[in-house]
Amino acid sequence: MSFREKSAWITLVTLIVLMLFYITHLPPTWMLDPPPSGWMFHVLAAGVIGFVVIEIVAHVIVAIRAPRDAQAPRDERERLIALKATSIAAYVYAILSLGSVFFLIHLGANETGVFYCVFLSFILAEIVNYAARVVYYRRGV
Amino acid sequence: MTQTSITNTIRKLRFERNEMTQQDLAERVGVTRQTINAIELGKYSPSLEVAFRIAATLGVRLEEVFSYEGGGQPSPKDPR
Repeated sequence: MSFREKSAWITLVTLIVLMLFYITHLPPTWMLDPPPSGWMFHVLAAGVIGFVVIEIVAHVIVAIRAPRDAQAPRDERERLIALKATSIAAYVYAILSLGSVFFLIHLGANETGVFYCVFLSFILAEIVNYAARVVYYRRGV
Repeated sequence: MTQTSITNTIRKLRFERNEMTQQDLAERVGVTRQTINAIELGKYSPSLEVAFRIAATLGVRLEEVFSYEGGGQPSPKDPR
């Protein structure tokens, strides 16, 4: 497994952990009756900081085990995999975020609820991005 | 597994050149070992530049390394 494939797996798992952390800290009525924005700011900050720390630690461990692989620039296949996966994720993000905005506005949610939904859409789109990368690495593009 | 219409004899040519490893070939061509492996297995079609580099590294002509099995008509496949 190449360094970048391992990196894709690390980011995929970390994003899933972040999503679960975020969802479990949202109360059941978060769409229409969002929690105080100050509290959620701390939850978001904790989630993002945790995500960054896990990413750094995991990538450092993997890079130490294969330093040459980690320092090598992306080759054409890796660039193609990243492009294709990002393209898919862009469609997912556009559909989820716009769809959720229209849906929530129709239900009467306020801007805070819309923000939480758009943020969740972003996390889900990135999960699709890195899941697609893993599939392409396994399948060979 | 998605197979391309292009076949190759890279593995055979590697072994004929003092059993060159995939890692060796990858370093000389400028791609990762996994990319060479994907090319050998027909999972990935390299760009023209990489194909020429592979042929040059193995010391043979391009058509001795790669061959196209699709015929004259382009087959519908996932566009890159």
